[in-house]
Amino acid sequence: MIEFFQIFFDKLPQWWPEMQTAAGRTLLLAAYAFILAIIFGLALALAKLSRSSMLRRVASVYIEIMRSIPTLVVLFIIYFGIVPLGITLNALTAGSIGLGIHAAAYVAEIFRSGIEAIHRGQREAALSVGMTPRQTLRYIVLPQATAIMLPPLINMLVVVLKDTSICSLISAPEIMLRAKDLASTYFRPMQLYVLAGAMYFGMAWPLSLLARLWGKQLGRGRRTI
Amino acid sequence: MFAAALLAGAFVSIQIMLGALGIAIAIGLFMALLATTRVVPLRLFVACYVEVFRNVPALTQLFIIYFGLAQVGLRLQPIPAAIIGLGLGGGALLTEVFRAGIQALHHGQREAAVAVGMTPIMAIRYIILPQAWRIVLPPLGNYSISLLKETSVASAIAAPEIMFYARQLVTRSFETPVIYSLTALLYLAMCLPIGRLVARLERRSRAWQ
Repeated sequence: MIEFFQIFFDKLPQWWPEMQTAAGRTLLLAAYAFILAIIFGLALALAKLSRSSMLRRVASVYIEIMRSIPTLVVLFIIYFGIVPLGITLNALTAGSIGLGIHAAAYVAEIFRSGIEAIHRGQREAALSVGMTPRQTLRYIVLPQATAIMLPPLINMLVVVLKDTSICSLISAPEIMLRAKDLASTYFRPMQLYVLAGAMYFGMAWPLSLLARLWGKQLGRGRRTI
Repeated sequence: MFAAALLAGAFVSIQIMLGALGIAIAIGLFMALLATTRVVPLRLFVACYVEVFRNVPALTQLFIIYFGLAQVGLRLQPIPAAIIGLGLGGGALLTEVFRAGIQALHHGQREAAVAVGMTPIMAIRYIILPQAWRIVLPPLGNYSISLLKETSVASAIAAPEIMFYARQLVTRSFETPVIYSLTALLYLAMCLPIGRLVARLERRSRAWQ
């Protein structure tokens, strides 16, 4: 055990610069994927709540499919699968797109249940005072739904952050890929993967705590109503 | 030709999923019971376990168990390593699920059971768990589905499951789009029925209430 940490702290200065760059890539990957998931997820949620049954069906089928196949398969299809069609993406782009369109299915469900959680009387009241449906959504429904949706959205961000590790399998230069490279150079897999785990933990844990704190506060607010 | 190899992989995927599910349920139940005791060090231990395993990616956990432990002399085969790794991660999730299920019951239930002369163990076995079971069923079902999808990550430690065979077929035949589409369909064909089953069980347990 002592030897373990001795090696760990001896080598850390050598490993750290590369791991730090990789951590930056991981954060970037998670950020791009999450932004894409939010935009696409909102579009899917609106499609699912729309009056056109065709749009509703398309959105449902998309969500169902994405929730039934692993992230890794989506990444492989986007990175390797479309190469024969003449489209080549670099690993980071393919990773953010893959993670983003996959997470969008889950984000859409969060948006939908958040919007549906607002009592319909709110919407009806807004419409009856002469607001347009768009204004109702913008000024009445979304501000209230946002508070409900934030904790699950932050949890989704944690999921995306952890899923970036899978992008190492399509050779995106993030934490796990660097840890793997260094592990094969220094023959110290235990130390390096524990270091990688600690780095993910350091990024994901504060977010998890934030989501939980927010959720608790929300629960308290609702109970008083 | 592709289908046979992928189906062989599907068999291993299900094997890993069931093994990991068993471990995760056992750990989750045990830890949830520890978390509802009054002993503070035990609760602290459970909290640490849950936080660590829930905030570290499954892939990292698998690499620590498969490559990391090999360095310190404990060499596991890929499939057991995948089962243990995914099971430990799932245990952390199920601890939270079971704890919420147990705490959702009114504490009067436990007190009443003890008051009529049941031992605490009997109260858990005959009063708490049967009722908590209905509460945890939907999240447990959803977890099974996400676990089946997560087994795909085990291909990274060379467990011969679906993705492992898919990658092998691709290097041999170069039919990349066909093979990965087939793979996606195969996961779809496995996950959708489980989803239906979970929805039906959920409806039935709600009707009983």
